Amino acid sequence: MALVTPETTRWVAAATALVFVLASVSFVVPASGSVSPVPFDDTVKTGGTSVDVRTAEVEGFEVPLAQVHFSRYRYIIGYYDVTTAAADVSTPESARQFGDPLAVFVTDYATVSPDIDDDGSLRTEHNRNPGWTKASEASFVVDSGARVPSGPIAVPFSDAGAARSFADAHGGEVVDWATLRDRAGDPLSSRLTAFESSVAAHHEWANQTTAASDALFDRPVSTVVGEDAPTVEAAVESAPANTTVYVPAGTYSVDAVELNRSITLLGAGSDTRLVGDGNGSVVHLRAEQSAVGNLSVSGVGEVGTRRVRASNESVDWDTRVELAYGRGDAGIVLDGANESAVRGVEIDTPASGIIARESADSVVDGVTVRGADNPSDGFMGVVLIGERSVVQDSTFLGGRDGVYTHRADGSVIRDNRMEDGRYGVHQMYTSDALVADNVVRGDRIGVVLMTRPVGNLVVGNDVRESDFGFMPAGSDTYVADNVFAGNDYGMDVSGDRQVYVRNVVAGNGVGVRGSSTFPTNVVVRNDIVGNDVRVESSLGPMRTWTAGGEGNYWGDLPLGDADGDGVYDRAYQPSGVVDAELGREPGALALSESPAVRALRHARDAVSGLRGSGVVDAAPRTEPVRPETLAALNATEETDD
Amino acid sequence: MSAGDRDGDIGDLFAIAARELRTVVRTPAVVALSVVFGLTVVAVAAAGSGARGGYVPLVLDLVPFVEALVPLLAVALCYRAVLSDRESGELDVLRTFDVSRPAYVGGVYLGRGLALVFVVFGSLLAAGATVPVLSPPDPTFLALNEAADSPVAFLRFSVLAVLFALAVAAVALAVSAAARTARQAIALAVGLLVAFVVGVDAAAVAGLASGNLGIDAVPLVLAASPNGAFRSLVLGVAVETGGSTSPVAALAGLVGWVAVALAVAVLTAWRPVE
Repeated sequence: MALVTPETTRWVAAATALVFVLASVSFVVPASGSVSPVPFDDTVKTGGTSVDVRTAEVEGFEVPLAQVHFSRYRYIIGYYDVTTAAADVSTPESARQFGDPLAVFVTDYATVSPDIDDDGSLRTEHNRNPGWTKASEASFVVDSGARVPSGPIAVPFSDAGAARSFADAHGGEVVDWATLRDRAGDPLSSRLTAFESSVAAHHEWANQTTAASDALFDRPVSTVVGEDAPTVEAAVESAPANTTVYVPAGTYSVDAVELNRSITLLGAGSDTRLVGDGNGSVVHLRAEQSAVGNLSVSGVGEVGTRRVRASNESVDWDTRVELAYGRGDAGIVLDGANESAVRGVEIDTPASGIIARESADSVVDGVTVRGADNPSDGFMGVVLIGERSVVQDSTFLGGRDGVYTHRADGSVIRDNRMEDGRYGVHQMYTSDALVADNVVRGDRIGVVLMTRPVGNLVVGNDVRESDFGFMPAGSDTYVADNVFAGNDYGMDVSGDRQVYVRNVVAGNGVGVRGSSTFPTNVVVRNDIVGNDVRVESSLGPMRTWTAGGEGNYWGDLPLGDADGDGVYDRAYQPSGVVDAELGREPGALALSESPAVRALRHARDAVSGLRGSGVVDAAPRTEPVRPETLAALNATEETDD
Repeated sequence: MSAGDRDGDIGDLFAIAARELRTVVRTPAVVALSVVFGLTVVAVAAAGSGARGGYVPLVLDLVPFVEALVPLLAVALCYRAVLSDRESGELDVLRTFDVSRPAYVGGVYLGRGLALVFVVFGSLLAAGATVPVLSPPDPTFLALNEAADSPVAFLRFSVLAVLFALAVAAVALAVSAAARTARQAIALAVGLLVAFVVGVDAAAVAGLASGNLGIDAVPLVLAASPNGAFRSLVLGVAVETGGSTSPVAALAGLVGWVAVALAVAVLTAWRPVE
């Protein structure tokens, strides 16, 4: 210790003092950088619908935007809609997730002479680009008639005079930011209402489309195979339009049955067997309002996919997929056959069952497709490409995917059963589709949405004994009232701005997997019970799965609810190492009440947006949302005590 | 007082500070406590979710632990400093060298304080260094919100923690000077610890509840305890979540504790011979 002399102590003291003088400079340096608008593309988009923006990019109309700089989130939050931003910035959820709004910037139309065209779209003079202005200093024109596809919009102006003259020209009222915020409703409930009405509209469209196809099966019989014509091929050649070709019970070897007119090929039931020669597809529908019903098809070729030669580089991936998936062998092919229908048909196929290419408003109803025993050997039950169709009340056994869609926007896939295949419903490049009330058992994935689709509706499905219940990509998906039980993974929360409500996630290996980077998905009012791991989440910041004061049901937790409001008194972190075992291991409760864990928990509940990954429910429910469903599943939390 | 006296005083001060530093380094219990403190701070960083996100959440994770552990460390280092010199007779030996009371107390404070500062600041810097290691890289396609998080906040927090540690150390030193027996020293030290960590805040809440204290007066009451002052400064200055209350009262509180405590220590170290 000879080193510690009075002399060295002097030096050490002087050096330490210097370090602290230098460190104290930090009190002079500003801790927070400047707050100024950034390009909208560089923001994390939440709230509002991106459908509007996609349409706007094509049609060139204006969508007023907002960007919010929060005190405790690393990135800038972008909104596709000023009113949504107004509703969202001061909710407890956004305060919890992102902190206080330091600044809100909105699109400024004061200097670009905006106008409203006949469709209600907002356009600027000579398509000039508007700038940004502070929302707190802006004036907003509401009820002017300006709108985007999803609804009316508020138009912001940095200059009150410009706002007034816009209101004078187009009607409406000029309000300030505070008023806009006061008037904005609950952002989630308006989204839920919109989703529900979209679900209803899809069902209504499917009902009408199905009802319209009824007429196809009421056509008078003009030709009976074996009486009026020797073969099925000859019968469909000779039958006049708008009549039925009847095929009595029996086995018919066919080569390629081509329906080139609006006729209906009708059998006597599954005893009417069309057997192909094992090459290519068996029945082709190439005319509008053609139909096949009440028969069985087998003898389909074995080619599932005809890949485009790799050397042809002018073909983009989209087209490549379409060709690869849409040109294989199938029991029945619809090709440009708008308003056609396949009903009550049984298909045995080593490749695809039905391929519908560019056949708008077609209906696949009550069909059974038996695919290959090994999914990788077979192909799709139904392939929908390019147009909107209905697939309902059908059964898909084995094979690869039950229903595969490619750019089939708006399609309705409902009340089907898929078993032992690869994916139950597999959507590619397909937006605004309804996947409802399907039952999937023993697949790799129940419902999977790929390639950044927008606005899909996945409701009332029941996926069990599969590897994954549900896996979405893209954005603005409505995932409601589904049951994911007994799978390796229940449901994936990924993509952006998805809404998950009233799902039952029970008895899976991992209940919910949070795999999105940005905290823009809404997960509330779900029952997540009896999963080995409640939540697995490793990406992005801490997410809060609570909205409007409502959270999820995580089982009967050993927490208090002193005020009896049905919400446990403290926030619950299902992804946390201690909370994850709460209600299962007695030790977890004791540990969770320790001062150290309490202190960390208290700190965790501040500035979620800057914290490491994980999931917090700020309002965990004491009672399930769907108790009957849980009871039917016999799903409870298991306690080791 | 001549210039020679002052040089002599300062020489004495550093000689005593050097002696104190040697004592600290040779006391295994204190070294062990310092290691435990450092490990705890880094472990909190690793256990919490803050270090996986940024400096501000890490500060919020650390505040309650620093508030409890820093006073413990400071008291452990200082509560018997003067008393043990007095009990062992070293104080009498020192006085034969004509050491002045301010030089003696200043030297003890400097020596122990330096050790404390190394442990506290070093541990916090180690905890802060986990942030760039544990947090994921930022995607390049997004604009960063520079207002959200900054290492500057953590540096401020660390400096404030050192100031807090020095204030409690001064109080503990005063205890060691004023106490005449080890039992008195430990009773006083523990009493002050409890008062700082729990008592003053609880009293403020009780005052609010009974109506004897207005909410306006709370910042002043908090400023009156080292813990309260430190907490107010962290929330108000380091991470800027505590609103716009002036930090002057809290800062004055901390500095006041140092000044008053050192004055008490000087006055009670020994009775000057007239």
